[in-house]
Amino acid sequence: MRELQDLADALINGYADRVSKLTNELLETGVEPQTILNEGLIAGMTVVGEKMRTGEMYLPEVLQSASAMHASLKLLKPHLVKEGVESRGKILMGTVKGDMHDIGKNLVGIMLQGAGFELVDLGLNVPPQKFVEAIGMHQPAVVGLSAMLTTTMLNMKTTIEAINNAGLRSKVKIIIGGAPVSQKFADDIGADGYARDAVKAVDKVKELLAA
Amino acid sequence: MPRLFRILNAIYLMNSRLLNACEGRASDRMPFLPAIYEQKAWFVHSTPSIVCRDPELFTQALLAEFEIVRPDALTIGIDVYNVEAEAVGARVIYYDGEDPSIPAVDPDGTIFHGEEDIVNLRLPDPQKDGRMPLHLGVARRVLAKLGNELPVRGAVTGPFSLAAHLVGAEHLFMLTITHPALVKKLLRFSLEVAKEYSAAYVKVGCGVVIFDSQASPEILSPAMYRTFVLEPTKRLIDFIHSLGLRHVPLIIGGNTTKILDAYLETGANNILCDFSADVERFREQCSVTGRAFRRNIDTADFLTLSREDLIARAKKCIDESRGYPGFIFGTGVVPFGTPVGHFAILRNVLHEYAR
Repeated sequence: MRELQDLADALINGYADRVSKLTNELLETGVEPQTILNEGLIAGMTVVGEKMRTGEMYLPEVLQSASAMHASLKLLKPHLVKEGVESRGKILMGTVKGDMHDIGKNLVGIMLQGAGFELVDLGLNVPPQKFVEAIGMHQPAVVGLSAMLTTTMLNMKTTIEAINNAGLRSKVKIIIGGAPVSQKFADDIGADGYARDAVKAVDKVKELLAA
Repeated sequence: MPRLFRILNAIYLMNSRLLNACEGRASDRMPFLPAIYEQKAWFVHSTPSIVCRDPELFTQALLAEFEIVRPDALTIGIDVYNVEAEAVGARVIYYDGEDPSIPAVDPDGTIFHGEEDIVNLRLPDPQKDGRMPLHLGVARRVLAKLGNELPVRGAVTGPFSLAAHLVGAEHLFMLTITHPALVKKLLRFSLEVAKEYSAAYVKVGCGVVIFDSQASPEILSPAMYRTFVLEPTKRLIDFIHSLGLRHVPLIIGGNTTKILDAYLETGANNILCDFSADVERFREQCSVTGRAFRRNIDTADFLTLSREDLIARAKKCIDESRGYPGFIFGTGVVPFGTPVGHFAILRNVLHEYAR
């Protein structure tokens, strides 16, 4: 469908106003919100992720696309809820204690929402105990921990230990991400997975939930 | 007295390993420069929030760093990206008690929210505003104690990173696309702040190190680096050279291989080759242009490898650039609380293996 491709293209180019306009037009013409989500937004963000991976797009451009996606999701969400479109799973995310960086986490959050997951975002500078309490309250399938500094990445380990000590470790999968961390670090601290970028984070969440 | 310190430090600098590396001369061994900022507070059994606001503890922390680590230069800075932003008016969050978190600009405490705010930005006075005077005072004290032992450099935030701290990083990245002319205006302001602070450091007898990791190609494209960052950075480095400092390091974290040409065009005399960057290309291009580079060991390796594996990793890192006189051996930012014995492992490798 031509209009869905236009939506995906506008998203890739980061044109938030045009994405909102096209989303409204598609809804008005009776296109299923799930179709708009899958064939417009997710298709567009998949291209964005690929372009980021290959170095054709960088953070400023990706943020424009993410902002456009956010605008469209706001319009789609009431329709998705009304039609009873089920979430693919609940994800709890936060930047660990002592870390005030949240751009990466926010990008991952938008991509996950775009992929049909329900997101609970605890924000930045989140103490381990707050993660523990939020797991009890929201019962997510996956917990995402973000850190941008070599000092704060150590708080990922502390957070996983706190989840473990609370007896909740077996109830959730844990993924980590952020500039200083790696798969090796994830293995060392007992996380279930690591993702280098927002697209890979979505892939990793799907993989963990399918396992 | 400041004049005396300046002369002493200048004399020492003439013979330091670091200067030798910058000028392509061999030394008795490779220079050692682990990236130590918040870890300084650990050396005096305190926290970054306390030490970065206490001139006495801050000075003791630097002296302890010298004793424990024996680096080939010291850098005045714990929360290096906050100082200028705070002096201009941004709000910094400090942590109470024993909380070892690193102070940071409050995301709700930035001072630029829209175009109209640009007229309200005022240049700070390094002798009066924020913690700039504290840092300059610490520099004076450390120079008095160690100025004839090793180079002492003040940390200065590069124009793009300062703009990110004044505006908020996400907001600034969006503005690069939606309002590029405004970003250039902001960068002109950031440049002037960096010049003021650099001049103040030089006046007390210090060298200067510029930090600009928000301009890393992990974030900005090489084209954007050229469009926005290169010119103000070059102007800053030209300015510092004009103050009489021959060697100006520029630190940009992450894999900077994609911007290596522009990185060298800034005029920085020594640059960072982080663990993820292509060391072979750095060695080739730095060799052609007569620059030094610091190669980092990955911080995660530094923390998690066994003693034997860490030694093997350090030797591999040294071997990659053995014979290049402009090679400086370092680490990524050392996390607060890193056991002090780790530094001895690397230092011993240098002493035994990097001569």
